Amino acid sequence: MSEVSGKREETLDLSISYILIVGVIASVLFEIVGIFGYYYSNRDLSIVFAPDFALRGSNFFAYAAQTIQALLFRKWTSISVLAFGLVLLIITPYVRVVVSVAYFGLARNVKYLLITLFVLTTLTASLLLH
Amino acid sequence: MLLLGRKETENLKFSSPLASVSEYTLIDMLGVLLVSILAGFLGALTGLGGGSIMIPVLVAFNIPVKYAIAASMVTIIATSSGSAASYVRQRITNVKAAFYLETFTMTGAIIGATITSFIAPRFLYFFFAAFLLTSFFGLSGHMREDFPKQVRQDRFSKWLELQGSYYDQAAEGEVEYKMTNAGLGGLGMMVAGLAAGMLGIGAGAFKVSVHELVLKMPSKVSSTTSNFIIGITALAGASVYFASGLIFIGLAAPMAIGTTIGAVLGGRILNRFPNRVIRYLFLVIVFALIVQMLYKGITLQ
Repeated sequence: MSEVSGKREETLDLSISYILIVGVIASVLFEIVGIFGYYYSNRDLSIVFAPDFALRGSNFFAYAAQTIQALLFRKWTSISVLAFGLVLLIITPYVRVVVSVAYFGLARNVKYLLITLFVLTTLTASLLLH
Repeated sequence: MLLLGRKETENLKFSSPLASVSEYTLIDMLGVLLVSILAGFLGALTGLGGGSIMIPVLVAFNIPVKYAIAASMVTIIATSSGSAASYVRQRITNVKAAFYLETFTMTGAIIGATITSFIAPRFLYFFFAAFLLTSFFGLSGHMREDFPKQVRQDRFSKWLELQGSYYDQAAEGEVEYKMTNAGLGGLGMMVAGLAAGMLGIGAGAFKVSVHELVLKMPSKVSSTTSNFIIGITALAGASVYFASGLIFIGLAAPMAIGTTIGAVLGGRILNRFPNRVIRYLFLVIVFALIVQMLYKGITLQ
């Protein structure tokens, strides 16, 4: 491995590491706030099995957009905060795949560009499924 | 507290009127949070992972097994990503090998999660018990070599650039390694992904076995690369459970917080426990979980 490609791979490793840690910490923080909010508004911590309390939508990306919109433009509810925390968590490994595709594209490593593109395409298709 | 029969809780449908699970089960969000901290802690100590412990525990509290599996799949993303971050930064994880192997685990996980969405819950209890039984074989892990010697890399593995090096603190030096059998290793990882997606677990022990016995990875590279891959396997499985509407916010959120906290605590004190204690703890926990899942499977109406 040349020194240049070694340095480049180090950059990829660092980027992936930061994406993972920031994604997990942010999601856990939102979930903690959401649980406190849930208790504050209901005085109860029952788990509800009903459509409104499940992650569901026409597809995952639409659901994520809807959750972000709910936080940005409407009143915050504990369920929307909890849902946003889970969306952040689910999207974290997806983002690291996107960054890896970009890295291998810039590094002109065709083999790994194709491998990471396959991972990205399959995940995207699966998240678009309903 | 009202407790319904198992059949009724297993058959909860979305079309049914709003039903608070706490009416049917013995646990609420706080309970799930506390149990998850313990499960994450024990999962990190024993190497079983939080999901393998949480699912039988939730089932004991009358949470339908499919809901427990779906929530666990999301939870695994948190524990895997949290620990993978530091190993990737230390460059112990082989990112290229991970990307290649992910293509297989991801495909397996999507197939496995799809099967779970349609299969009768009874079978899941038995599959889970069978999978836990295979974890006993993980105990033979000490038989493997820490640093496989004289690995002859095949052409496909060489083409995939499956080699690397990392600084090993225990060995106080740079360790260089080569992998081999990339084709067979890929198939093994497909099986690991299938089990993970189907049962809502990381299947880390199985992945590590494939890495070390087939691909000939050094043990530290193997466990850290497995951890990194688990995140994508779990995402693939979670995408199917999302489409099936099986991920419940009130269950997944406290589980994610609890197992993450528990895993961090477990990881920090792991080195203070003698290996013998950890091994006994592992055997006792796995035995109890197998009995619990078999009991549920047999007594389910």
